[in-house]
Amino acid sequence: MTDPYKTLGIPQNASDEEVKRAYRELAKKYHPDNYVDNPLADLAQEKMKEINEAYDIITKSRKNAAGAQSGYSSGYSSGGSAYQGTGNYAAIRQAINQGNLQYAEQLLNACSARDAEWNFLMGSLNYKRGWLDDARSFFQRACAMDPGNMEYRQALQMASQMNAPYRQTGYGPPAGQGMDMCDMCTAMMCANMMCGGCGR
Amino acid sequence: MFGYVTPELPELKVREYQRFRALYCGLCHELGRRYGLRGRMILNYDFVFLAALLAGGEETCAYWLRRCPVHPLRRRCVCAASPALGAAADMSVILTYRKLEDGAEDSRGLKRLGFRLAGAFLRRAYHKAAAARPDFDETVRRELAALYGLEKAGCESLDATADKFAALLASAAEEAGEDARRPLHELLYHVGRIVYIADAWADLGEDFRKGEYNPVAARFGLTDGKPTDEAREAVLATLMGSDRLAAAAFELLPAGYWTPVTENIVYLGIPRMIREVLDGTYRVRKPGLPKEPERLTGGTESEP
Repeated sequence: MTDPYKTLGIPQNASDEEVKRAYRELAKKYHPDNYVDNPLADLAQEKMKEINEAYDIITKSRKNAAGAQSGYSSGYSSGGSAYQGTGNYAAIRQAINQGNLQYAEQLLNACSARDAEWNFLMGSLNYKRGWLDDARSFFQRACAMDPGNMEYRQALQMASQMNAPYRQTGYGPPAGQGMDMCDMCTAMMCANMMCGGCGR
Repeated sequence: MFGYVTPELPELKVREYQRFRALYCGLCHELGRRYGLRGRMILNYDFVFLAALLAGGEETCAYWLRRCPVHPLRRRCVCAASPALGAAADMSVILTYRKLEDGAEDSRGLKRLGFRLAGAFLRRAYHKAAAARPDFDETVRRELAALYGLEKAGCESLDATADKFAALLASAAEEAGEDARRPLHELLYHVGRIVYIADAWADLGEDFRKGEYNPVAARFGLTDGKPTDEAREAVLATLMGSDRLAAAAFELLPAGYWTPVTENIVYLGIPRMIREVLDGTYRVRKPGLPKEPERLTGGTESEP
């Protein structure tokens, strides 16, 4: 086990408040919501685990008592996956979720139907490999075919975001071009909604 | 295609700017050591970024005090030779040469002659670099061939063409340490997409005048070389989305001496470049160390 203080990027003599702040910053950064449909999700999860462990160790050793609580450690486990759809589509969803993109593409190309669900799954497949332009086109088609479907609309919304990645860096966002907290909230909400979709 | 990946200079702390400058000079010196003056001529910002990423989690940086032909009077801090600089130097030679060769294939007349001359100028350097990194050379050859195949066929998927250039750049991650390889591969893939698509956007007008294939024009069915608002919005969403994914991968890299610089590039430099390319105000950064600011942040230019 590496030094838990190093994991959180703080000195040994950091105050409890600083420990908590460092932990929160990192937990926000590696939150599963930031890695929805991302091939590196497992690495982020590992990081999250390390941070949780480090925070646990520090708080426990500081409280010097058994059963000390760690505020966030259990909060960020990923939810179970709920498959929808029938027959082949369920298998395709599973293949996409597992990152088996080649197989998913084969199955999709073999489908005869080109319905809304097919377009949605094609969009998810492309999103997962980072082909965002194609992904958006497929999501748009899925939404046009089935405008009432929330899952499709959320996916399209997520693929249509236009803001830059957010992180307080340098001296703050350049004048007139920063992303305000409102955008940030919207981004988090969109990411949150996607969590229930294909990605998990 | 080069010169799109730069830091947002005003947002760098002075010490971070000094580091960036030392790395820039370090890469120039490395190119000179390996390939002579000819090697130095191909220096560009994108490979400084690559060198910073490959140096990755290192916690310090050895440097030398050196003079150079451009700055003969004062000795400057330049990063000492390192595996990361060596890899960035070799790769920039391989990629530049291969692109020149393909450019010659693609063009006619005087321009073709120009490409051929530039290629001949770099040939010796290229053979040396390719011998040192045969895997990277093979990947570049394969992906560029696939890319030109798609371009000749008039491919309408922006992502499919960008994928080739992105895959080529991503393969540079093989030079990184074990723990950095996967996130770096992912990061470089998305940066490669951004560079390719941004470059295609910037070339819209010129490609139209010459009647050449342009991936953005093919994707959006543009027939007059002028982008529509719809295309601009779609490309903005695509490029910012790719940068968000690049940032997510960036956060999984081990942190070290170069992190403030690379962080600035991913979170500020690239988004700034994307906005400027899309509204047509971007000028490709020419190699050379910035001395005077090009504009005053937050100020407005006025007549004396």
